[in-house]
Amino acid sequence: MSFLEKWSDNLSKYFEKGKPLHPFRALFRAADSFFLTPETTTRTGSHIRDSVDMKRIMITVMIALVPALLFGLWNIGYQHFTSMGESVTIWQSFWYGFLKWLPLVIVVYISGLTVEIIFAQHRGHDVAEGFFVTGLILPMILPPDIPLWIVAVATIFATLFGIEVFGGTGYNFLNPALLARAFIFFAYPTTISGNSVWIAEAGDAVTGATPLGILSSQAAEPLPSMLDMFIGTIPGSIGETSKIAILIGALILLVTQVASWRIMLSTIAGGYITAALLNATGVVAGTPVPAYQHLLMGGFLFGAVFMATDPVTAAHTQLGKYIYGALVGIIAMLIRIAGKGYVEGIMLSILLMNIFAPLIDYCVVRANIQKRKNRARKI
Amino acid sequence: MREKNIHHISKGYDILLKGAAEQVIGLHKSSQYHISPSDFRWLKPELLVEVGDTVKVGTPLFADSNNEKIVIVSPANGKITDIVRGEKRSIQSIEIAGDGSENETETTIPAEFGRNEVIDILLGNGLWPAVRQRPFSIIANPDDTPKALFISCFDTAPLAPDISFILKDKKEEFKKGVEILKMLAPVTLCMRPNADNVIFESIAGTDKHYFSGPHPAGNIGTQIHKTNPINKSETVWFVNPQDVVTIGRVFLHGRLSFEKTIALTGPCAQNPQYYTMTYGTDISQLTGSFSSINDKNLRIISGNILTGKQLSENMSVRFYDSQITVIGEGGKREFIGWLLPGLKKWSFSHTFLAFLSKKRKYDFDTTMHGEKRNFVMTDIYEKVFPFDILPMELLKACLIKDVELMEDLGIYEVDDEDFALCEVVCPSKTECQKIIREGLFTVKNS
Repeated sequence: MSFLEKWSDNLSKYFEKGKPLHPFRALFRAADSFFLTPETTTRTGSHIRDSVDMKRIMITVMIALVPALLFGLWNIGYQHFTSMGESVTIWQSFWYGFLKWLPLVIVVYISGLTVEIIFAQHRGHDVAEGFFVTGLILPMILPPDIPLWIVAVATIFATLFGIEVFGGTGYNFLNPALLARAFIFFAYPTTISGNSVWIAEAGDAVTGATPLGILSSQAAEPLPSMLDMFIGTIPGSIGETSKIAILIGALILLVTQVASWRIMLSTIAGGYITAALLNATGVVAGTPVPAYQHLLMGGFLFGAVFMATDPVTAAHTQLGKYIYGALVGIIAMLIRIAGKGYVEGIMLSILLMNIFAPLIDYCVVRANIQKRKNRARKI
Repeated sequence: MREKNIHHISKGYDILLKGAAEQVIGLHKSSQYHISPSDFRWLKPELLVEVGDTVKVGTPLFADSNNEKIVIVSPANGKITDIVRGEKRSIQSIEIAGDGSENETETTIPAEFGRNEVIDILLGNGLWPAVRQRPFSIIANPDDTPKALFISCFDTAPLAPDISFILKDKKEEFKKGVEILKMLAPVTLCMRPNADNVIFESIAGTDKHYFSGPHPAGNIGTQIHKTNPINKSETVWFVNPQDVVTIGRVFLHGRLSFEKTIALTGPCAQNPQYYTMTYGTDISQLTGSFSSINDKNLRIISGNILTGKQLSENMSVRFYDSQITVIGEGGKREFIGWLLPGLKKWSFSHTFLAFLSKKRKYDFDTTMHGEKRNFVMTDIYEKVFPFDILPMELLKACLIKDVELMEDLGIYEVDDEDFALCEVVCPSKTECQKIIREGLFTVKNS
């Protein structure tokens, strides 16, 4: 028995029911199982279990997010210094971005986990790991200079009304990170939309518009080159800009089989086909942007890879996942291209389909039931 | 082999556990026998013997209180030494001290017999419990007319015994057994394609189906679902191959004997091999040869690691099992185990680097590897569940005890063992088998 195990054993006594530290049981259990894997063995059913647990699943998603995150941190600095007309080293850019991001992520984790731990303690549950991914994703879909108090309010709102009131991770039907973003989007729109928020402390020389911003305002400013959009050296939310980093993350998710390839594939296919059709039918005024270029702009790819694939809020059935993904892609592009009110559509499209996912599942389940009934009738 | 009778099971998984039984058959004897009513699902025993009674092979020990014609008989000659009771005076086991004589008895079979006589002979000799029914995997009701009777001639569970090897010298008994069972219902034999099927191919007048692919291709539930799925108010009977031999022996030689061949397997079994023993024989002496890896405690399981039962005291192999698996108890805590690369960690998912070496065999132990969570990974069950049934939806229907929904979603086609792989791979550590078993219980009593 290691030193840590003995320590944990001794401490656990104080958190038992009726002991002074019992109100902090959930916090202790979370910390304990963070450092040491649980000692439980199988009691019913199969005598062996897979080494995988929710912690492993969630850490895998977090690892998949790392390339986009690292690039995003550098890009915050790069965009800032470029707008000032300064030229600095990679490390200076990265450090600048890191210092912008750190307060955001700390605020998100502290506010969200506080809610989570209070509920876990109150309900006698363990702290679910889902929030660790939410907490990492949320800063990545925000602009770098957003006020911290708004982030805290949005996180608490999303954790409380997106997850906990329904019973915790697994019972929620809206993607919590997107719910927090949507909360900011509608409650404090000036902090998260327009052309001036996407570069941290921007210099006066540039507008700082994202490619989609340029597109929607039909400004004279040229779009960034395809290569810039692919690599990600453009203004935007922290995690969304680098398509190559997102694709590395997608590869990790697909190889480890943590995210559903069905959703990723159908979302991207749905988005591409819709953009191509809209271009072909001439709904868009002026010279349309090619469909493949639409996939490289805005948060579409980030949403398709990391957010539409949330297994809880997506459709649960296999057939349902195809339908859900395709509709996410279609509606995202409809909002973006044909809609007049919003610059980007992926956030609203995923949230809308989160709401429809249970209906899609219901139809798939009914079809399965009907098949069984038809079989019985034939005899 | 007709094309349409070949079924490929693609959704499933073979767990590569160390310790397969060598193809050697030893003899295991003990003067102690333990007969446990819990071997028979949901059976309420009505005791027919008392401590001190002398019993012979075939003497009824207890009856099913719902149908007193169904009796479980003594597999040995000897004396009842104890009746062990547990909570609420439920009978845990009936202890028999053998007298050392050969565990068999003569039975007389009439020269001519029809379906009703066969049923009576099986009931009278205590062989009827070998015939079980789906749905519910309970002992069949002799008054039913099932639409088919299935015999799975292979087992795909981890380290499962090789049934062709076990039946090698019992060809005639098996054949006779199938002939007798044919009088009860149309028989379907399920085999592996391209395997040693000599014994089974020669049996005329049966449906033959072939299943390739990983576990659960050998499960009776998979086989019924793919060939003759059960609708509401239908039943299918099924019998284990070794029990077919026991039935055949009675009708062929007029000898009643509950001897069968058991595979001793698992990473902690020192000399994994086959043993011939009578049903109920105490196996605690066999455990002398078990060796622990890294000084772990041992878990001795009657059956396989997916569906078996842990044996603690009064150790004997369950009525329907042909396998003993010995693995180490787990429970070792690991520092930030969820973060390490996991070069030697088995997982169906690809979240540990060990997935790169696909052929590696593992010393599994009983560690849970995580805490219970809500359903999160919504598509993982489908990957190991070859039924045209929505597994998570069915589990949820069972949890809310919605009988109509369970029926609609196909509860009659499944049994807890069909969900064993779902349970193993679940990252939320959901107790799928327990949920399904309780769901079946709810449906049965509604």
